[in-house]
Amino acid sequence: MKAIVAALSLAMTAAPMLAPAALAQDKPEQLGMGIFTFASGPAAAYGMPGRNAAELMIEQINADGGIGGVPVAPTYVDEAQGGEGVVSEFRRLAGDGSTDIMVAALSSGNCMALAPIADQLEMPMVTWNCDTHQLFLNAEHPYVFRPNSSTVPEFVAYAAYAAQKAPDATRIAIINPDYAFGHDAAAIFTAAMKAFNPNAEVVVELFPKLGTQSFNTEISRIAAARPDIIFSNMWGGDLESFARQASARGLFRSSQVILALGESILQRVELPEGVIVGVLGDSFWNAPDAKQEALDFAAAYNEKFGDYPVFPGMKMANTILVVKTAYEAAMEANGGTWPTKDEVLAALDGITAETLTGTVTVREDHDGIVDQIVGMTTGGTGTPELAEMVRYPGAAITPPVGADPIEWVSTLTPEFAAELPAPGSLN
Amino acid sequence: MDFLLPMLVDGLAASALIFFIAVGLTLVFSVLRVLNVAHGSFYAVGAYVAVTIGGVVMSAGAPQWLSFPILFLSAALTAALLGPVIERTFIRFTYGKPEAVQILVTFALFLIFEDLQKLVFGVQAYYQDAAVNVLGISDIGGIIYLNYQLLLIALAAAVVVALRVMLHHTRLGKMIVAVVADPEVSATLGIDTRRVYMAAFTIGVFLAALGGALASPNSGVAPGLGAEAIVLGFAVAAIGGLGQIEGAALAAVIVGIARVLAIYYVPQLEPVAPYLVMLAVLLVRPYGLFGAATQRKI
Repeated sequence: MKAIVAALSLAMTAAPMLAPAALAQDKPEQLGMGIFTFASGPAAAYGMPGRNAAELMIEQINADGGIGGVPVAPTYVDEAQGGEGVVSEFRRLAGDGSTDIMVAALSSGNCMALAPIADQLEMPMVTWNCDTHQLFLNAEHPYVFRPNSSTVPEFVAYAAYAAQKAPDATRIAIINPDYAFGHDAAAIFTAAMKAFNPNAEVVVELFPKLGTQSFNTEISRIAAARPDIIFSNMWGGDLESFARQASARGLFRSSQVILALGESILQRVELPEGVIVGVLGDSFWNAPDAKQEALDFAAAYNEKFGDYPVFPGMKMANTILVVKTAYEAAMEANGGTWPTKDEVLAALDGITAETLTGTVTVREDHDGIVDQIVGMTTGGTGTPELAEMVRYPGAAITPPVGADPIEWVSTLTPEFAAELPAPGSLN
Repeated sequence: MDFLLPMLVDGLAASALIFFIAVGLTLVFSVLRVLNVAHGSFYAVGAYVAVTIGGVVMSAGAPQWLSFPILFLSAALTAALLGPVIERTFIRFTYGKPEAVQILVTFALFLIFEDLQKLVFGVQAYYQDAAVNVLGISDIGGIIYLNYQLLLIALAAAVVVALRVMLHHTRLGKMIVAVVADPEVSATLGIDTRRVYMAAFTIGVFLAALGGALASPNSGVAPGLGAEAIVLGFAVAAIGGLGQIEGAALAAVIVGIARVLAIYYVPQLEPVAPYLVMLAVLLVRPYGLFGAATQRKI
């Protein structure tokens, strides 16, 4: 009897000490996160800001105790190795037990390749860029979530802005990169412009190959067409070369230029005042309605890497925050224990998360609803600033679940554009 | 025909840059009989050196006109440092060897240079456009052109003339012509063929580096520049006839005009325009426009 009482006493005494130990065993030592981005090659111009932002955000999360007390352990995969290598790395990380969740990828092509693999391996994948509207178009991906916008709302936003700022503009020139991103954007922007202004016509459409250094002939061809609006979704070195050459040859003075990804070169190229630029979403840290967290993150980024985060960096940081929110929501739902994979998936499904630059909602089709920020350049370089800014509500300019995106765009009307928030309403 | 004047200006401006790429390649082939895949690397190195030196000098507050001599100085520096060293350490071992060996050796050199550029300069693009800004712009047919583009056309024409004068009216040029005609007889006549090979290769490096340096104020420099240059350079050299300087000049104009026509009327064909021209020319004249059939000994 004495022995039983002693044992019970010992158990009761030890219980408070053992309880945290038992709970700690439930939690993993670390949360493995596979992060896919371009670390080399020309696309590193976008990939490296993403990687840098991931590094900083994870550093900050871990300094605050990690996610639910578990530190995040990233493994970075370079997308420059090509689709086959990226898929192979995804399979390896998913298979060796080191990774619990994937944050992938920058390239839409890689996303399209990885999505079915994520489903097949039952590995949660949260996309951090993946702009293509085709990701969820003809396929359901139960393990894939996009807490970002797609090409449709992104380029409808520019058409709406152009329709609001230059309602009489009808002659459109397009110069986009010669791959799916460029061709998709041209189709969406054209359809939206024609919906907002039935007299709109494309007078010249050029698709120079990626990596083009000299755009002089293209610039002459565009100038010869006398367009009212010049639209481009070029990026990286191509965008920088085009902007420098077009600016020197007066193209920005003779037409209203829209550089869809122009925010990313504001710190490197002195764009003239009045160029319409945006961030393919709401990931602009220096907006008038910016949260203090965004300003702090940008300042920390600047201190660590020597420049301010461009929008791919902010998109990456926001995506990791969505993952953090999902894990925390899953833990809250299950009473505080470390969530299972199914609980994380359930939390991501329909999640609404506060990011550094706004709010994101993941719909039932796993696509994201994100606001679109568009503005105009103020001239000069240095700290990125925009004027005449507007924040278009994501829900208003994103096609409904199940709708054919291009068909939906063609149903828009001039009244639709007129009813959206006006340029300058965010300043 | 509304676009005739702008197409002509664009065509000649594009041809000028293409010519700088091809002329050094064809000169080296005519003298050394080496297909130099690394030629594109010298084009890229010339651009990187020009942007680097130009950046340092301009940021020190030097007058903008200095950016012009810097372009030529950068090409000369690249040629002086790389030409003799590369010729003596790699290229000379390929003389008289099968084309496959020459291509393998020079392709290896090309890959080494590509990685070295990334190691030294990283993957981002660099720009130094002082030379473009200082010259201003001109309105031709209602379209604004950079005066720098027009200057490049004049410079390309000047290089054609200068090379012709050098080859036919200077001692070095006459020695080069003699070595091209018959290296063995030239050697027996007292010409140091070793030095002629080195000089010709260095001139080739200079022309490639000059092309890269002259392109950099307008186009900047980024990884991949060398690869694009060498592919286009080979196409132009093949159209003109390998080893033919005038042929390279004419081929550059044809390719430049073809690309411009494609951009104006059939933009989808622009990337393949030079190669369609090459295909068409080689089907009719397998040795290029200025090339001649050679006897092949078995």
